[in-house]
Amino acid sequence: MNEIKKTIRKFIIENFLFGEEDNLKGDTSFLEEGIIDSTGVLELIEFLEEQFDITVKDDEIIPENLDSLNNLEKFLTRVEAK
Amino acid sequence: MITDQLNIPKQICKRCILPGTFPGIKFNENGLCNHCQKQIDSSQTSNTSTKKRNFRYRLDALVHDLKGTAPVYDIIVAYSGGKDSSYILKLLKEQYNLRILAMTLDNHFVSPAAIENIKVITDKLAIDTLIIRPPWAAIKPMFNLTAQKDIFSKTTLMRASSICTACIGIVKSIVLKTALEMSIPLVGYGWSPGQAPIQSAILKTNPQLIQTNQKVLINSFPLELKEKLNQYFIPDSYFKTFKEKFPHNIHPLAFFDYDEDHIKKELKKMGWKSPEDTDSNSSNCRINAYANQCHILRHGFHPYVWEIANMVRQNIMTREQGLIKIYSDQNKEMVSYAKEKLQQ
Repeated sequence: MNEIKKTIRKFIIENFLFGEEDNLKGDTSFLEEGIIDSTGVLELIEFLEEQFDITVKDDEIIPENLDSLNNLEKFLTRVEAK
Repeated sequence: MITDQLNIPKQICKRCILPGTFPGIKFNENGLCNHCQKQIDSSQTSNTSTKKRNFRYRLDALVHDLKGTAPVYDIIVAYSGGKDSSYILKLLKEQYNLRILAMTLDNHFVSPAAIENIKVITDKLAIDTLIIRPPWAAIKPMFNLTAQKDIFSKTTLMRASSICTACIGIVKSIVLKTALEMSIPLVGYGWSPGQAPIQSAILKTNPQLIQTNQKVLINSFPLELKEKLNQYFIPDSYFKTFKEKFPHNIHPLAFFDYDEDHIKKELKKMGWKSPEDTDSNSSNCRINAYANQCHILRHGFHPYVWEIANMVRQNIMTREQGLIKIYSDQNKEMVSYAKEKLQQ
């Protein structure tokens, strides 16, 4: 697991799963599994912007970019490569 | 001291007011919770007042681009008649002169004083009001179910009670549905600065994200209730039909100065009156005290503690004010009122 994924995983477990990490797989949908709700998405964006020093644009706030560890890893790798 | 009369738990953050029963909380050797420690670390790198100023510029630019482009209204505001949403009507009208539609969900528990406030404020500001009142047969089972059990995720219940989550889910859906149907480009909410991070203060709504969130919310309800409430949610076809028309959400109180006393003072000048039949965390709703009580009994923490702790941390509210709001007993009369009404 690369550093990006590890950092996000830690954030999700600490803030949304309260330390229970059993069911969090790379492709687990945060929204459909009720791990993150609409306010949680905003908190995730706040974390990404501060942690990775990026700006998440409005049109990037979509499930394909944010809704699982795998999607987030791909999204951040893409953003950081720009 | 007033705080001597409160039910303050034994373990509570020394800086904000989060209790040891709050999910995932950890305290350091100085008694500071992990959320306060995180805020201290991040405040060394980020400047809130710069962020707030930048959001003011963004709103100015957005208003410049969108004002006057829609057929009738520039913005629809979710309007409860409470102090925060009343105040954003005033801000948006007086500072931006927007064409506003105020939309209210009458959930059968709106205080008569709040209804009067809705009339007074919208008359004073010359704003149209649209009130949606679902029948009691739809509302009653929704509140009875959420009073008895938690049907939403643990994360959601960190920030609000089951009763409030169900009700606000309907509010958000009918407001967005109306915005789409009437081609309104802006949606305004009176969320306090403690309710959502500042990053969300201005955000273009995304159809896919809203559709996924809505699906999760609707699927939380049992089938029979789902059928009763279905008409208040956004039909699936809208996500395709109105794909290009999804509005910007704005939460002005996240970046305008927020001071409860100042807000009340300004509103009182306009004829707004503080309702006497609501609890200390609501200025419009008479089921809130019961919703709080159910949540406290089931989870061991107050459903508003996350919001109020955020405001204490941001110095928007003093610690003592926060303690009073969260650790006072729920008003027994209000709890009984809601309980009895739900049995009728």
